[in-house]
Amino acid sequence: MAGESLQTDVSDNSREANGSDATTGAAPPVDPDEAALYVDGISKTFGSGDEAVEAVSGVSFAVEPGEVVGLLGPNGAGKTTTIKSVLGLVLPDEGDVRVRGIDIYEQPRAAYEHVDAMLEGARNDYWRLTVRENLRYFAAIRGQDPDTLSDRHDQLLEQFDLAEFADTAVRDLSRGMKQKVSLASVLGGNVSVAFLDEPTLGLDVESSLKLRRELRRLVDERGLTLVVSSHDMEVIEDVCDRVIIMNDGEVIVDDTVESLLAGFETAGYRFTVRGADEDVLDDLRERFDLSGVEDLDGRTRFEVAADSATFYRLTDAMERRGLEVDGVETVQPDLAEAFVEMTSGDGQTAGIDGLSSLGGSER
Amino acid sequence: MTAAEPTERSDTGVGPGTDGAPESGQTAGYRHLLKAVVYRDLLVWVRYPVDAVFGLVIGVFFFGLMFYGGRMVAGQAINDTIEGLIVGYFLWTLSLGAYAGIMNDVQSEASWGTLERHYMTPFGFGPVVLAKSVAIVFRTFCTSAVVLAVMLLMTGRTLDLPVFTVITVGLLAIAGALGLGLAMGGLGVLYKRISNIANFLQFGFIGLISAPSFDIWWTKFLPLAQGSAMLQQAMTGGVRLWEFEPTAIAILVGAAVLYLGLGYLVFARATKRARRLGVLGDY
Repeated sequence: MAGESLQTDVSDNSREANGSDATTGAAPPVDPDEAALYVDGISKTFGSGDEAVEAVSGVSFAVEPGEVVGLLGPNGAGKTTTIKSVLGLVLPDEGDVRVRGIDIYEQPRAAYEHVDAMLEGARNDYWRLTVRENLRYFAAIRGQDPDTLSDRHDQLLEQFDLAEFADTAVRDLSRGMKQKVSLASVLGGNVSVAFLDEPTLGLDVESSLKLRRELRRLVDERGLTLVVSSHDMEVIEDVCDRVIIMNDGEVIVDDTVESLLAGFETAGYRFTVRGADEDVLDDLRERFDLSGVEDLDGRTRFEVAADSATFYRLTDAMERRGLEVDGVETVQPDLAEAFVEMTSGDGQTAGIDGLSSLGGSER
Repeated sequence: MTAAEPTERSDTGVGPGTDGAPESGQTAGYRHLLKAVVYRDLLVWVRYPVDAVFGLVIGVFFFGLMFYGGRMVAGQAINDTIEGLIVGYFLWTLSLGAYAGIMNDVQSEASWGTLERHYMTPFGFGPVVLAKSVAIVFRTFCTSAVVLAVMLLMTGRTLDLPVFTVITVGLLAIAGALGLGLAMGGLGVLYKRISNIANFLQFGFIGLISAPSFDIWWTKFLPLAQGSAMLQQAMTGGVRLWEFEPTAIAILVGAAVLYLGLGYLVFARATKRARRLGVLGDY
């Protein structure tokens, strides 16, 4: 990249928090019996010979009780294989998984007392049954007496705005409502660890926002442990404490949402200046990472990736070239942009190569 | 341990705790599981009313076709054997219901996206599938009883209906069909499209039910064959369960356990392989 670009190595942060060394797949540095979820070295290859496809390789992480972890990755990154392996629905070639200290491969029934998953979105329920019938049925097959959970089910239905549809067949509900029924039926089984795949899929903006709040409330009130896989970055930012990003079957980032975003905070600035002709702009382009140059009727706006030192060098350079600065805005990329950056290219990068490639947005 | 070497228990998920409930921390036992699964099965059945009614109508229609068509073609001969035909048809609807019921149920769960939820239960996948089998057999007995009643009305005949004997022999007879259904359900989860062979097997039931088990001794050990012969004796000859030869009962029970066990084994192996291939919940 031309110019002085900002290099922020997120991988330095990625080994912290409750996660593992994301670059080596080493065992998470937590007590397997204390963690709500402990995943150590999961690997899975589908097929054999020339057709073998390594879906996941050495995936390790841990989730503390009451923690919400977002699992992100582009299509084919290995998220589904990881989730299904962790749940025992796919038998990995190697690796250990413990749910609340219980080996899910050795004692699946004991482990399933604690964990359930919404893997198929709205297809997770029986559409011919009513909302309440679904909650009762799935509670029963989870070993819970549905009669003793009536109050809890009522509460969940209220929280998810489903109370007035309790006796409506799921097939008569909108897609978003179906999605919420699926979610309620998972949480209605009295689990302490839940996997949610795309929990807000099909929801309108308002419903999505409310669901995110309710999820966070459930976590805070009940100490629920969640692993959320979603392409909706607002879900991840609003609900999750930590983010695991996968690419090419490996964990490339395992860090708190705050730390991850902090790695991008010095992303850059948006300048609006007067007196910039093409020569001046070419000169600045050669020395700095300019992007998004726009002519605004006598003024020029551009963005630049810059840390504080670069910022001052740039303003000095502009002053020397006689530019008059009309305005400066801080530009911060959001999690979506961070995600795209980290999973693009060779898939191994944790370095942020400048604001221009992020296409930052204002906050 | 590594995931590559799961224990036998993890493969089947079978094995209740000593008190009949799961081994730890549950508020409900197998009674709740069975109740919930049976209730759900009946609810889903009645909420597809066209399919439910059509199933009954088709069942009666084909018998009517055989009965009236047979009378036109064979005249008195069909009247002489009508009781046997009714019992055989009754057993065929029972066995078909059990076979197709469990096979379709497993495949429907996979296509609905709910199969994996049934895998992730503290009861284990095996007990849940067996509870489903019980639900399907219960529903099949109910629907086949309706078909039987209509057949008797249609033909104006009466049969002995020693309820305990008919239910016991009927259950043991269709256990083999249930085993085949489980096996095909498991293979369906693994290979997804097996409808050609699955449909073909249904016709094989006719041959098994009419197998000459009195004349060719080894046919008694085939699925359905011994049960069919004993059900004929019970419903047309009034023979009660305790009046059968112990050997006949032993063969009936042995065949039921064998074929149900084999079917379950194939199901467990197929679902384990599906997990290894990562296709358990695919549809």
